[in-house]
Amino acid sequence: MARAVFRKVSADGERRLVHLDRDRPLVEAALREPARFDALYRKYLAQVYSYAFYELGDHHDAEDATERTFLLALGALPRFEERARPADGEGASTFRVWLFQIARNVVANVRRSRRRRPEAPLEAAALVASPLDVESRATHRLEAAEAWAAVGRLPDDRRRALVLRFVEEMSTAEIAGILGRSEGAVRVLIHRGLRAVARDLDRRP
Amino acid sequence: MTFQPPETGEIDALVTDGYLDSLLAARERRALDSPSVVELDPDVRLAAARLAETAARVHPSFRFEERLAVRLADAARRMTLAPAVGLEDLPGGSISTIEPDPAGSALGPVGPLDLLDPARPEEIAGIPRPLIIGGTLASAALSIAGAALVAWRLNRPGRGGTERVRLA
Repeated sequence: MARAVFRKVSADGERRLVHLDRDRPLVEAALREPARFDALYRKYLAQVYSYAFYELGDHHDAEDATERTFLLALGALPRFEERARPADGEGASTFRVWLFQIARNVVANVRRSRRRRPEAPLEAAALVASPLDVESRATHRLEAAEAWAAVGRLPDDRRRALVLRFVEEMSTAEIAGILGRSEGAVRVLIHRGLRAVARDLDRRP
Repeated sequence: MTFQPPETGEIDALVTDGYLDSLLAARERRALDSPSVVELDPDVRLAAARLAETAARVHPSFRFEERLAVRLADAARRMTLAPAVGLEDLPGGSISTIEPDPAGSALGPVGPLDLLDPARPEEIAGIPRPLIIGGTLASAALSIAGAALVAWRLNRPGRGGTERVRLA
């Protein structure tokens, strides 16, 4: 778990502690010197790529979406506004939320351009799970493929919320920021998504 | 102000959320047993457990990682150079002639309007077209790196005197 970052600030002569984005030093460095964006890129590459891969299910498409996301983020970095709040939790990063907002838009554009639902993609994503579990790999893969295929059949927001929650292990607050919903709405999305996946799995022999 | 009790669906969603917090924390510490929440629908719990068990982060290839790092470094270098030398003085001429990614992108070009705030596409709708950048009408041939440069110049710190990264 990331360490919480606090800083003393003075507002109207009153000193108080505020919760800061844990990526603040990296963002500030990249704003001063764009080449330093590399640190943010290395830190979040796997997360963004993973999200794109689970959403698109194809390595080439995921690479393209990842590339576009980071290039867009680099160009738009001066517009990034930090909004970390105590409610975002320990080690919160609004930079990560902002970056995933970009990724969400990029991936959504790719999906729109394909005009088809990603059933196979999420099955493909499940095949990478637990590669070292040799004995039960076949059964495990089948179950995983079924579960993620069921996720792939969900409406967009439910599917995105489940991928962000389970693959990226994001908090409800972070997902709410990315999807532009309230935390309560995200909790309901995830709950209903899981219920739909459960029903889907139940119908299968 | 009156207290609005949560509806049944929201209570179930809260219970599920609490369970997921415990489940994902258990996964992180590689615990063998799953947390038990009596109030949670067993089917939902099973589905959540299966997804948590099989969700794995996927890493791109090292080759892709390094190729993109080089592209970003190149875009960053141009951003650093641009304020000093001006767009016209960049190697390769104006931004519209910057070479596209030799590997090619299946996604097509990124327009500068997309870059004004890519995280909030709704803001883009209010901007009149066409947009003239560096004396050149933005075209579909604009490369991603070139467009990133434009966005950086439009948004770079100091413009409008606003501090972009603020305290919470």
